Amino acid sequence: MAGAIIENMSTKKLVIVGIVLLLFQAFAFMVGGLIAPSPTTAVHYLATKCVDNQKGHLQGRKWFMPWGPNQCDKIRDFDEAMAKRIEANNIVFSVHIPLPNKEMSPWFQFMLVILQFDIAFKLYNQIEDKAMVTIDVSLAYRDDTVSEWTEMAHSLEQRKLSCNFTTAKIIENEGRYYECDLLPFMEVGTVSHKYYLVNIRLPVNERKKVNVGIGEIKDIRLVGIHQNGGFTKVWFAMKTFLTPSILIIMIWYWRRITMMTRPPVLLEKVIFALGISMTFINIPVEWFSIGFDWTWMLLFGDIRQGIFYAMLLSFWIIFCGEHLMDQTERNRFSMYWKQVGPIVFGSLCLFIFDMCERGVQLTNPFYSIWASDVGTELAMAFIIVAGICACLYFLFLCFMVFQVFRNISGKRTSLPAMTKARRLHYEGLIFRFKFLMLVTLACAAMTVIFFIISQVNEGHWHWGDYTVQINSAFFTGIYGMWNLYVFALMFLYAPSHKRYGDEQSSGDQGGNSGEDIQLTTTITHADGPTEVYRMMGKESQE
Amino acid sequence: MSSGCLFRSLLMLFLALLSANASNWLYLAKLSSVGSISDEETCEKLRGLIQRQVQICKRNVEVMDACQYQFRNRRWNCSTLDSMPVFGKVVTQGTREAAFVYALSAASVAYAVTRACSSGELEKCGCDRNVHGVSPQGFQWSGCSDNIAYGVAFSQSFVDARERGKGQSSSRALMNLHNNEAGRKAILNHMRIDCKCHGVSGSCEVKTCWKAMPPFRKVGNVIKEKFDGATEVEQRKVGTTRVLMPRNSQFKPHTDEDLVYLDPSPDFCEHDPRTPGMLGTVGRFCNKTSKAIDGCELMCCGRGFHTQEVEVVDRCSCKFHWCCYVKCKQCRKMVEMHTCR
Repeated sequence: MAGAIIENMSTKKLVIVGIVLLLFQAFAFMVGGLIAPSPTTAVHYLATKCVDNQKGHLQGRKWFMPWGPNQCDKIRDFDEAMAKRIEANNIVFSVHIPLPNKEMSPWFQFMLVILQFDIAFKLYNQIEDKAMVTIDVSLAYRDDTVSEWTEMAHSLEQRKLSCNFTTAKIIENEGRYYECDLLPFMEVGTVSHKYYLVNIRLPVNERKKVNVGIGEIKDIRLVGIHQNGGFTKVWFAMKTFLTPSILIIMIWYWRRITMMTRPPVLLEKVIFALGISMTFINIPVEWFSIGFDWTWMLLFGDIRQGIFYAMLLSFWIIFCGEHLMDQTERNRFSMYWKQVGPIVFGSLCLFIFDMCERGVQLTNPFYSIWASDVGTELAMAFIIVAGICACLYFLFLCFMVFQVFRNISGKRTSLPAMTKARRLHYEGLIFRFKFLMLVTLACAAMTVIFFIISQVNEGHWHWGDYTVQINSAFFTGIYGMWNLYVFALMFLYAPSHKRYGDEQSSGDQGGNSGEDIQLTTTITHADGPTEVYRMMGKESQE
Repeated sequence: MSSGCLFRSLLMLFLALLSANASNWLYLAKLSSVGSISDEETCEKLRGLIQRQVQICKRNVEVMDACQYQFRNRRWNCSTLDSMPVFGKVVTQGTREAAFVYALSAASVAYAVTRACSSGELEKCGCDRNVHGVSPQGFQWSGCSDNIAYGVAFSQSFVDARERGKGQSSSRALMNLHNNEAGRKAILNHMRIDCKCHGVSGSCEVKTCWKAMPPFRKVGNVIKEKFDGATEVEQRKVGTTRVLMPRNSQFKPHTDEDLVYLDPSPDFCEHDPRTPGMLGTVGRFCNKTSKAIDGCELMCCGRGFHTQEVEVVDRCSCKFHWCCYVKCKQCRKMVEMHTCR
């Protein structure tokens, strides 16, 4: 692919393309920062303590409402329960999602809920080491305020209590709360109903050591996190706009390649694959989540992102490899198994981990791999292996980039002595590589910088009357950036129809035959019977 | 509809309490016939309150407990008396103790309202348009602001209303307003920030953070610390506005979070029948070994103390459930008790 558009483009045109892309980039940031609200909202819920007066088990589950009509018999705290001789097994913690006068909406995309216990320190009733709390939890939904609740899920879950008491454990400090870690509680992949009801019980069974030694629980608090409807709308709009743009450039790119007389080389195929994976992410299938109850959407989104990341990482490796300018013949995917292997393996690990977590959550929204010891170890193993793979990959990549630069500086010295065709070829290679290197580094740096800003900052900046949502700007901006990256890549690295050095090459001879051989090895695969080959043919004819 | 009623009745309650001569929980405290409130039945005894209002009342008793907990070792142990005016000179004068009481009270209202919001007992809360920080597009577009913003705004408009009614000029009003705000700051500046990562495979690519209220005990501790370091101030005129400045110009000016007071506190040593609330320290328990204010030396104001051996029946080797079940043996032991003369 000696004649990529980028080499044959005049500087002026290149600058224009760059400016247009930058404008789009700024637009992407502004859409997120100015139009969209913050990406997610966290809502606090304090569980209401209901009393289950039911004697024996009636048919069907009884649902306990914390407020509104048909609300349950409530107690304010457990001293009251003690006075009324209510047992622990008859207490139901009830949370209605959302709060009064609100409705959930499919635009919220997902809902995940965090569980927190307020446990008071009592000198003689402390939390035991490695205490597990067993929760009997059920989730129901309904779509209007009057109909019956329909059960969505019911499960008996275990969660590890990791609490510590920061002050001295003396009688003076009784009543202070432990500081407990947040516990994962529930994850639902679509929010297709308006009202949800969570009922939690903490059954006690002394014989089986269930819920014994968990301290004196004062309250249960939940935090519900969902994506903001406004952000979802902006996000969908962006995807809907980006899909055709990438699709069109992809078709144009592939047409250009097929128009050539030679079969496509590896690098061209990889760029095309990158385009496909980008389109795969872009296609706004999420629109369906507004109408259908597809709980697997969250998992599907993960998979799509994973494929794109893996593709992008592979592309970088192969791009470096194809620009190595040594005598080795590559152009085969199998040549890169050493570098691509870690990517595939790492992605696979993360995929399995994701299936174990979000996959199981399709059937049981309360499941968490972190809840059990074995699960935690397994999850950690997967993540560590993936991390090692990532490190390995970056070592390879850095080494390759270093090699390319070493070869470039080696070539630089011998450039003036070469024939014009050869020189132009190498200069093209060097320029292409350096350009991509620069753009990639800029993109990566932007991603990292924005990531850090969005992590450190409060999430929004006030700027005069405007509030700039940094987190939203991060998401739309970075998403737009990688789209533009792929777009630019396909546009600039598509084969050019212009041919360089055709006329001049005949007059410019004098390189030794050794160099000729070297030239052929590096480019025959790239060009096939096009330019340089033909040039060589001319040379030999003369 | 019922929540609407509740909201209105809550407002009514607060208005009623504020129209009384003392800040709200002091009014409640008045109902107790002993020097301190130990049981919550006090609220049940209130006539004319509906169930929900009783609950709000009980929350205020929790505040009372918080006050008494913080002052358990001091000469003034947050004591109140049955007679009017509620706190006598202790709180009607601009003392340190009054500063504490106002700060704690303002904080407690913010705290209680925020809690009521989270449990769905109040309707508007974070989505109330009158509270700053709410986007006009509503819950579906961008969610609501934190309930704590609402709780604090509520506390500002209702607890501060009485002082504002008096006019800004009185130095006592300025002191109360400052201390109310300091109480609310004790919550706001000690919010815990929790985060949850939920990106691809649970990575921190997407992270949501939120602020959680500290436990009320901690709020009490913070205000108590501010009580210990409170600044004595006096009113001065700067330009056209009246501000509170430290009486001793050597001291650095107080911040928004600090408590301020106008009058030095009495020593609380002797019982003074003319000033209710001044119970004195006669009969109080003290710690023989401590050199601090809870020690017998200081607590008893040098009057000396009685020592007697008392048999205490204590609970021991108990079995607990997380709620509502305790089975204990009774253990007896002899303890030395010191009480002030």
